[in-house]
Amino acid sequence: MPTGEIYFKHSLRVNGYLCKGCTACMRTCPTAAIRIREGKAVISENKCVDCGECIKACPHKAIYIKQDDFGLIENYKYRVCLVPTTFIGQFDTKYKTKAIYSCLIRLGFTHIYEVEHEVARMMELYNLYMEAHPEIRTFISPYCPAVTRLIQVRFPSLVDNVIHVRAPLELASRVITKKLIDEGARPESIGVFYVTPCAAKIAAVKYPVSGKDTCVAGVINMDFLYNKVMLMLHDSDKNAQPINHTLNSRDVQWSLAGGEAPHFKGAHYAVDGLQNVLNFLERLEDEAIDAPGLVEMRICDQGCVGGVLTTQDRFVARKRLEYRARLFERLERSKIRETPPEDHTLTPQWIKDMEISEIKPRSIYKLNDNYAEAFKMAERMKKIEKALPGVNCSACGAPSCAALAEDIVRGDASADTCVFINPLSQTSKDAMKRIWGDRIKDTNKED
Amino acid sequence: MHYTFKIERGNFTDAGQASSSVKRTLKQLGVDPANIKRTVVALFEAEINAVAHAYGGTIDVDIDGEKIVMVVADEGPGIPNIELAMQEGWSTASAKVREMGYGAGMGLPNIKKNTDELKIDTKVGVGTTVTMTVNLA
Repeated sequence: MPTGEIYFKHSLRVNGYLCKGCTACMRTCPTAAIRIREGKAVISENKCVDCGECIKACPHKAIYIKQDDFGLIENYKYRVCLVPTTFIGQFDTKYKTKAIYSCLIRLGFTHIYEVEHEVARMMELYNLYMEAHPEIRTFISPYCPAVTRLIQVRFPSLVDNVIHVRAPLELASRVITKKLIDEGARPESIGVFYVTPCAAKIAAVKYPVSGKDTCVAGVINMDFLYNKVMLMLHDSDKNAQPINHTLNSRDVQWSLAGGEAPHFKGAHYAVDGLQNVLNFLERLEDEAIDAPGLVEMRICDQGCVGGVLTTQDRFVARKRLEYRARLFERLERSKIRETPPEDHTLTPQWIKDMEISEIKPRSIYKLNDNYAEAFKMAERMKKIEKALPGVNCSACGAPSCAALAEDIVRGDASADTCVFINPLSQTSKDAMKRIWGDRIKDTNKED
Repeated sequence: MHYTFKIERGNFTDAGQASSSVKRTLKQLGVDPANIKRTVVALFEAEINAVAHAYGGTIDVDIDGEKIVMVVADEGPGIPNIELAMQEGWSTASAKVREMGYGAGMGLPNIKKNTDELKIDTKVGVGTTVTMTVNLA
């Protein structure tokens, strides 16, 4: 019985008590990874790309993201909070960045490090890869882990277009760890905790595409930390200790849609929002669009401020980050604030650690490893799809008639579940005929 | 497996549905991504050719165990000089078509590059039938 938690190798979980089987998540999933079984949503491990769209769609808050226990930080002497600027964007600009960071220190962290310190180094890594692959015309930024996974399962022919470099948080955790070790800390006494705006970044830490070890000790959900900090900001600001943060104005906006553009010299495209990403990849795969250069893609609308674990309206959060960036710019121009130098240095170890040797295609469409068998299944699927009403009502527990047809040929469902082919009673058949006309079949037949 | 699609003159915005639909089936069959790419690129180019030059037409796609045969048949002006049309950069596309980013004279050469067999039957003033074959093995 799918009550309680259903576990799989992703950070997403369905709460069986809260789930009403309303199909909202199932209809929005870009990889058709969700089915309703025994009245509850069930997520397929192999199809899910951790994009988080299901969480955004769920009206019952029944899908959630499992996070590490906050108490875990107590296991380390050096407790680093690895924070993306998206977190700062959650707070009204009346709160100074240092006031927010001082709350994190009061919560138990000993150090704060912003992921965006790695912009220059990440761009170096991108360039290294791009220079080593002159045969590739369109490069896709590896920034959004959900995009990489989406390409693996839905656009396998594009896996080599993705720059084979791991997520920025992996580099950031290595850089801060090395810094602390250089200052005399023992490696095992350092715990780096990443504050995540989305499910995809958790999956990137816990189940990386690279298959390599992570340098991150734990992941904390952004909404959880926001609540904790907000309470303290309201509580009292008296104990605030100034924390020096040294991001430059451009880097503050890195996580926003279009944020990678100012750091890249060549042709550049910024695509954000699930539907836009899907359309772009589809057309790119067909070579129906020619996009030489770098394509920055974010599954979430507006970039990371649209992440499912953020707490504020994404447009407001974006504006706040832009405001802070402009403020920094003004201060830097009038020499009140020193422009932080860009650090491009990469150690050979970092270059090695950040490399992904292979992004494996894992097509979710393939019906069978045997071509002849797959051919038979595809033929049957086409026939079944034609017999189904095409209404995509989801009453069968599949997101669309095409998905049901696929489930049937794969042996995971039966055509009996279609209420159009097999209405429950003559009365309901008559009633439905008034709505759907001929699409309500008179005879029951599968193929 | 057989697929049929209609081609509408000047409808560049809806072009590509045939290749997308064929692509979906080829993915289900587990066809090698390189062959999928060749197929959809060739089909898309041929469709765009017909959309840009002809008055209308049909696309017929047959997939079997060994190959994919795509026939794009149009009613249109025909190709007066196939040899010229096969040259890269040679184009008779109108200014309007070029404005949309097409008509660079790469259509037929690109189809030839991406298919294993290419047959062009054309009659000036009547129409053109382009038959393209991609071998799967």
